[in-house]
Amino acid sequence: MDGIKDAVRIQQEDFSQDEEIRALKSSSQRMGGIATFLGCARDFSEDRAVTRLGFEAYGSMALAEMNRLRDEAMTRFGLLDARIVHRIGTIEAGGQIVFIAAGAEHRGPAFDACRWMIDELKQRVPIWKKEVSPQGDAWVTPHP
Amino acid sequence: MISVLLFGPVAERAGTATLQFGHRSGLTLQQLRDELAASHPQAFEIVCFTAVNGEQIRDQQSPLADGDEVAFMAKFSGG
Repeated sequence: MDGIKDAVRIQQEDFSQDEEIRALKSSSQRMGGIATFLGCARDFSEDRAVTRLGFEAYGSMALAEMNRLRDEAMTRFGLLDARIVHRIGTIEAGGQIVFIAAGAEHRGPAFDACRWMIDELKQRVPIWKKEVSPQGDAWVTPHP
Repeated sequence: MISVLLFGPVAERAGTATLQFGHRSGLTLQQLRDELAASHPQAFEIVCFTAVNGEQIRDQQSPLADGDEVAFMAKFSGG
């Protein structure tokens, strides 16, 4: 039987939401609410067709920051457990990019923590996205 | 030596993901940045975060030690 994967991961391969939720649930039977966020690759961006996305990370720093973010969320929202998985490499349109799950005794903190974690991840974790379209490739570079 | 890491859009504009920079006594993050920006202006135009040994640093006057790993990063776009 496979062991439970780490709660925070950066990986090329796809992930299973069912597997992640099963791992989250196995940490506590006091969990009454689980909120999840699944980020997917859209097939358009600013009126341009997008065929695939490419993600690159500053691996060691990104993983450390994601672990810090999870720890902060656990304390701040009183979670029983949380998981964050982000893919890197090439992801075809429609594919899964990021999965976040927050488990708490009640739904309120679970929803709040899930929203907080994805918002913070976008601000704090060193990962960059490239859009590949029939017109060419372009890194997504929000203005400094 | 200082190992300089560039990622994604910054690496693409610089044409490389790594640079080696000779360390000298008293070298600060700001001085390193200024010198690299002079040789790679397009890449540094979009730099808005810096990290030393994996920790984000806001004080650009921080001194650098020989062997430090410095990352110059564009705004993040993960998620």
